[in-house]
Amino acid sequence: MSFREKSAWISFYSIAIFAVMWFTHIARVEFFHVPENPMLWFFGTLVTVLALEIGLQIWIRIQSPHEARTPKDERERLIDMKASRVAFYVLLVGAFSSIGTMHIPGSNRFTMAQTMMGSILVALLTRFATQIVLHRRDA
Amino acid sequence: MPKKTLSNDIRKLRFERGEMTQQDLADRIGVTRQTVNAIELGKYSPSLEVAFHIAEVFGVPLDQVFHYR
Repeated sequence: MSFREKSAWISFYSIAIFAVMWFTHIARVEFFHVPENPMLWFFGTLVTVLALEIGLQIWIRIQSPHEARTPKDERERLIDMKASRVAFYVLLVGAFSSIGTMHIPGSNRFTMAQTMMGSILVALLTRFATQIVLHRRDA
Repeated sequence: MPKKTLSNDIRKLRFERGEMTQQDLADRIGVTRQTVNAIELGKYSPSLEVAFHIAEVFGVPLDQVFHYR
């Protein structure tokens, strides 16, 4: 597995862990009324996941110093562009879905904000997943 | 009109130059080994710049490395 693919896997898992932790927290607060501080949870989770991602990215750089030093070549830049394009459409659908929640009876700003948050996370996951697929398919 | 495809003789040229590795070629043209592999297998068509660079490394004209037929 190439250095870039490993890096994409790490980012994918970091975002996935963050998404699962965040929406588990939201579900606990919303449906089970567990008294938790959302901002503390948000930043706590964010810092933990960021630290994990940075640590793992440094670790793979130490494992493959030559590849890590090599700048992205034209094929890797193309993979990044293709992945960002796919993620953009996912984000677009998510953004419109967030607006759509305004028309659902019983929904409020909180629902809209969480839908937007979900859209951003799904778009990021799509971006890294597409990178992984393209690295594997073209390798 | 039949569809033309891009093929190449990079594998053969590497073999003729003392089994040059993909990593050696990649280092000399400034791309990753994975990209050389993708070009060699015909899964990725390189830019003109990279194509000329490959031909330069092997010391042959471009049409001896890449074929469009």
